[in-house]
Amino acid sequence: MHNKGKRVMELEEIRDIRQRKRVQTILITLLVVGLTIWSALGTDFSVYEVFSGLGLISNFVFIDLLPPDVSTSGSLLGAILETLYMGFVGMVVGAMIALVLSFLAAGTTTPHPIIQVVVRAFTSIIRNIPGLIWALILVASYGIGVTVGTLSLILGSVGFLTRVFADTLEEIDTGKIEALNATGSSYLQVLAQGVFPQFIPGFVAWSLYNLELNIRASTIIGMVGGGGIGFAIQKGIKLFQYKEVSMAIILVLVLILSTEFLTSKIRERII
Amino acid sequence: MEPILKIENLDKVYPDGTVALSNINFNVYPGEFVVVIGPSGAGKSTLLRCMNRLVEPTNGNVIFKDKKINKANSKQVKQIRREIGMVFQNFNLIDRLTVLNNVLHGRLGYTNTIKGSLGIFSKKDITEAEEILARVGLSKQKYKRADELSGGQMQRVGISRALSQRPRLILADEPIASLDPASSKNIMDHIYNICTEDKITAIVNLHQVEVAIKYATRIIGIQNGEVIFDGQPSQLTDKVIDEIYHDRRPPLVHAQ
Repeated sequence: MHNKGKRVMELEEIRDIRQRKRVQTILITLLVVGLTIWSALGTDFSVYEVFSGLGLISNFVFIDLLPPDVSTSGSLLGAILETLYMGFVGMVVGAMIALVLSFLAAGTTTPHPIIQVVVRAFTSIIRNIPGLIWALILVASYGIGVTVGTLSLILGSVGFLTRVFADTLEEIDTGKIEALNATGSSYLQVLAQGVFPQFIPGFVAWSLYNLELNIRASTIIGMVGGGGIGFAIQKGIKLFQYKEVSMAIILVLVLILSTEFLTSKIRERII
Repeated sequence: MEPILKIENLDKVYPDGTVALSNINFNVYPGEFVVVIGPSGAGKSTLLRCMNRLVEPTNGNVIFKDKKINKANSKQVKQIRREIGMVFQNFNLIDRLTVLNNVLHGRLGYTNTIKGSLGIFSKKDITEAEEILARVGLSKQKYKRADELSGGQMQRVGISRALSQRPRLILADEPIASLDPASSKNIMDHIYNICTEDKITAIVNLHQVEVAIKYATRIIGIQNGEVIFDGQPSQLTDKVIDEIYHDRRPPLVHAQ
């Protein structure tokens, strides 16, 4: 008797939970649809306009941009190399700074919880200011050029890499750390001999990914005065030299694709 | 004979309120091969980790060779830990380093911080580490990466790391729980023989009663964080085993 009553109650409970889930699903769907419609109205988004623009786009691409002016590739090569240098230096310097900061910012390795909070807060501020804004701020003090581009990429790299490095460090197997502590090793020895070897694959993979991000970002940063190929594109657009611009865009694509290819090869080798 | 390790009124309560150990008392004498048995969650691992203070005891004393490890400062704790080797269920080797390097980690406590961090060890340490590897039959594997080994081989490296500390006491936390039966026997034989030959005292957590009976010179049974059996393997009757492994409170505890 008693058992049966209990079962009925359980069944009712299950039905209740199911009903609540269904209501939740409906509410979430309505919310998403509602927000989409609201945003579309707010931005005057219309499918008709998207299609009517297609003609203009194809005119611009096929008449103004194409064919690219290959003869300019010689002068653009300097600019594209500048972009590569900026991205690379940004990654290397950024990774070095982030390496130190991440050990302070990760729960598993930080010498003190207060240091952890301070470093996390500091890098979170750096990270959440886009590279573009850094470039605009830095142009005011350093003037247009590669210095600005490199500095803003370093800042971006430090913000991004500290975060992902710290997360990687926090995922490290604490059992292995325990094992080294049990031998009587010092804090530095545990970091160098126990944590660091486990951290290397993540360190390399994230740094290489950061290099890709930097090369993409350096094109945009170049447009606001950071030098490199971005600056060349911006100059071309302002002077209506569209054939030169399209050549530059092709070079950017080649650079990005080849970095992606190379970094993935290196990653496979090292990990 | 003076005990090598004294456990006095040891309590451990975790911050979430879980009582892992309550009022544990026993002495371990040099040369003993103590096996601690008990169901999962009984507090075996916590007990072992209180001995080298990987876990901070809440109350009570752990005295190793007349030194209160629970009262020691961090430098003293490191010095005491050098003499206590530890072997783990998951081996806890550094995968990407060589077997030899993993064994040399046992020397870190004796090596200067900078040299140790850079992985520079003395000739003597290296020769000794090689000898230990030869002893456990891993000479050929010394330059392999640790993650290329089989489970049984990894555990032999784990034992070698503990041995390279030249310990007085070895703590082994479920050393065979992740191994197949053949490797388990091999590993238990290695631990037992080495400890006997080198006169190292051992405290081993196990949950296989047959294995415990086969190797132990003394068995301690714990359940719910309390010692409910402490005696010779021959005294471990089926009734006692039942009490340890079934959640029945033994008469002794009813008294409180």
